[in-house]
Amino acid sequence: MAGPRALDGIRVVDFSWVRAGPWATRWLGALGAEIIKIEWPESERGRLPSTTTPQHLPVNLNTSGNFADTNVNKKSLSLNVRSPKGLDIVKRLIAISDIVIENFSSRVLQKWGLGYEEQCKIKPDIVYVSMSGYGHTGRNHHYTTFGPVAQSVAGLTYLSGLPDRPPAGWGWSYMDDTGGMYGAMCALTGLYHRNMTGRGQHIDQAQMVSSVPLNGPALLDFTANGRGSCRPGFPPGNRAHWPGTPLLNNYRGPTVAPHNAYRTHPGGYNDWCVIVCRTDEEWQQLVRVMNAPRWASSERFATVLGRLQHQEELDDHIEAWSITLGKYELTERCQAVGVSALPVQSAEDRVEHDPQLRHRQIYREMQHPALGRYKVQNAPFKLSQTPAENYLPAPLIGQHTREIVEGLLGYSHDELRAGFADGTFWPARRERFPYLEEMLE
Amino acid sequence: MSDAHLLPGPLEGLRILELTDAAGQFCGKLLGDLGADVIKIEPPGGERCRHVGPFLDDIPHPERSLSFWYYNTSKRGITLDLNAADGRRIFARLAATADVVLETFRPGHLAALGFDYASLHEQNPRLIMCALTPFGQTGPWRDYASTDLLHMAAGGEMASCGYDQVDVPDAPPIAPGGGNAWHMGCHFAYIAIMAALVYRTISGQGQYIDASIHEACALTTEAAIASYVYRGETLLRQTGRHHAAAATNRTQFRAKDGTYVTALISGGLNPRNVRNLAALMDSFGMAGDLMEPRYQDPAVIAANASHIIDDLLASFIASLPAEQVYHAAQERGFTWGAVRAPEALLDDAHLHDRGFWKQVWHAELGRSFTYPGEAAIYNGSPWRISRRAPLIGEHNTEIFCEVLGLSRAELSVLAESRVI
Repeated sequence: MAGPRALDGIRVVDFSWVRAGPWATRWLGALGAEIIKIEWPESERGRLPSTTTPQHLPVNLNTSGNFADTNVNKKSLSLNVRSPKGLDIVKRLIAISDIVIENFSSRVLQKWGLGYEEQCKIKPDIVYVSMSGYGHTGRNHHYTTFGPVAQSVAGLTYLSGLPDRPPAGWGWSYMDDTGGMYGAMCALTGLYHRNMTGRGQHIDQAQMVSSVPLNGPALLDFTANGRGSCRPGFPPGNRAHWPGTPLLNNYRGPTVAPHNAYRTHPGGYNDWCVIVCRTDEEWQQLVRVMNAPRWASSERFATVLGRLQHQEELDDHIEAWSITLGKYELTERCQAVGVSALPVQSAEDRVEHDPQLRHRQIYREMQHPALGRYKVQNAPFKLSQTPAENYLPAPLIGQHTREIVEGLLGYSHDELRAGFADGTFWPARRERFPYLEEMLE
Repeated sequence: MSDAHLLPGPLEGLRILELTDAAGQFCGKLLGDLGADVIKIEPPGGERCRHVGPFLDDIPHPERSLSFWYYNTSKRGITLDLNAADGRRIFARLAATADVVLETFRPGHLAALGFDYASLHEQNPRLIMCALTPFGQTGPWRDYASTDLLHMAAGGEMASCGYDQVDVPDAPPIAPGGGNAWHMGCHFAYIAIMAALVYRTISGQGQYIDASIHEACALTTEAAIASYVYRGETLLRQTGRHHAAAATNRTQFRAKDGTYVTALISGGLNPRNVRNLAALMDSFGMAGDLMEPRYQDPAVIAANASHIIDDLLASFIASLPAEQVYHAAQERGFTWGAVRAPEALLDDAHLHDRGFWKQVWHAELGRSFTYPGEAAIYNGSPWRISRRAPLIGEHNTEIFCEVLGLSRAELSVLAESRVI
């Protein structure tokens, strides 16, 4: 018998798709909320990309691995919201729910007749979180984003790269992940406020806008000091400062050296370690770990200013040593004496080789009805009384339609069958998965 | 515009004790900007983050760190030496009045001072305590040292970021800057704290939260884990675009002004997208041969993908300033963006329309400064920067005397003994 969950009794009507919205509701689900994911096979975005479907399985709406990881702890209701009957069902659902969350372009829900005012008529204390690209107000509200575009426009892409090269950017939709964080944060904050005051509200979260506060110190350097980030030596790669350029803080903590990525044995694509020495003491410890080579005793490297100035030489020397060790061995040797070093880890490294993630059981297997048994990501926090644990595999599309329509909303089985026949619960001419046929028997 | 901005914030009435370093101060800011009374407890003389630059006018001083300013808005500040018996007694009294203790000490540090969760909970059953640490409270790496860069390495961020071979041969994996490992940890910690607060509204009971920055980072790489788990793939780093199992078309192009544009063709090069792309480029006289009917044949498109992207699209973007491409493309439904340096955001009209930039008054300097504002607009309880970061011990009198009832004489004794 599972213990209590933080969001027991909370129901979420979830219109979200692709990544940012589903990543938000994934965590509300792990915390115990009942997530009702409303989907429609004809306009689905998120289930089909085949890039994470196991090679031995057919590509269909139920076999995306990334969808499966992003949508654990949810139930799926397939529903044509753009039909009058479908809209009526949505309204009945909202009437018995606590949170409505969506990540459409701004004003889509309003066009459907489900704007905040309308939601309030159905459920006066509803917490409505809209997660659009640019928000529901402002002249560019109709613009659209993906993570990479929000990152570019909001100044995050620019933070990543080597000086005098094109931006390296982020190699994934950081702002889909982080936009999802903000969606979940807004929902929980709105829910707490509702529990305390009895009042709901509309929270207008926007992917592009949420990206901007992540640049705080750089923005203040500009507004207070007049110094922009368009300058020689920025961004400084993995360093705190790029030698030969003006000595300025580059918004990644104290300006120190060494502060870089170094190749490790056997020199493969992800065989790198990062090492940072924040003090002279840490530097001296690193020197000892390297077996006190003659070069390291040079006066040039005795002070932080010296190490910053002679960083190219310093880094070359360190790498000549680091390449002789595997990245985990180097990490252990450094950390044993308090030197900050960790391996660059690929996904395989994290899942298979990271002893800490293994100890903390971040990847745990779950059985999925179409995919089989695979590892799924778990929460990075442990709540002592209400643990956030995955308890449902990602739903097959429409898997819980009967449970929700009959069990929760009280429609008869005949009405369910009629809804499948008239295109409310599944496109009338689209082939139905076997589990949908079984549902109708 | 409604007068919602005059309403109390959603977390009004909560008291948070924040004992954090660089790793956790952003979480305290989020709680404070959303209306909680966040009391930042620093060691006498101030927390070491006050020594992180850049500094106002490049004058290093613990009251002039812009990084500290930014991450500590909407907090009150007190100084307290927890290593002194008097300091511990005062902290225990404060913890009895608090809703949340947020701390980033090394695992076991607070417990060794007598402030394990069980003891604090006994005095205050409603108390929620969140320990946000690099690796969590257990496990083989528990006591490892870390920095933002280290987390970006071990969390998997670096393995996904870097360059195409053609742009920078044999480039290292690149860690995006800006302190985002700390942000990732703080976002998840905020979620955990809010979940505990919501649960407390029902149960009346607090609980303990063990949050790990390493795990937060490891969870923030989109489909990288799924690509490995479901397909065994290790992903390539590519310039300015997604990691991928096999190389994909470039999406970042240099504009006339020397900055870049992110130009993804959502759904790929199909006849409809090519038609729209041709119309966009033709409105600037830059469609080249793309208006020709033969480009409505998928086979012709496929055979000419490199011509369309690397010649036509690249030339089109190279002919215009990045901002102009961005807006023209978005108005025609393309999900494109200009790659901006942060300072360009100050000129963004959309952010101005949303009232995003805030003037924050620094009384001791006699002027206000422009700060980035809210990530989201709450129409019933606003997100708001209520005050600038506290000066060192700025609220000692207010909190020790008015909240805890210490006398001015006692306060003087504590100052002399460097407890505060």
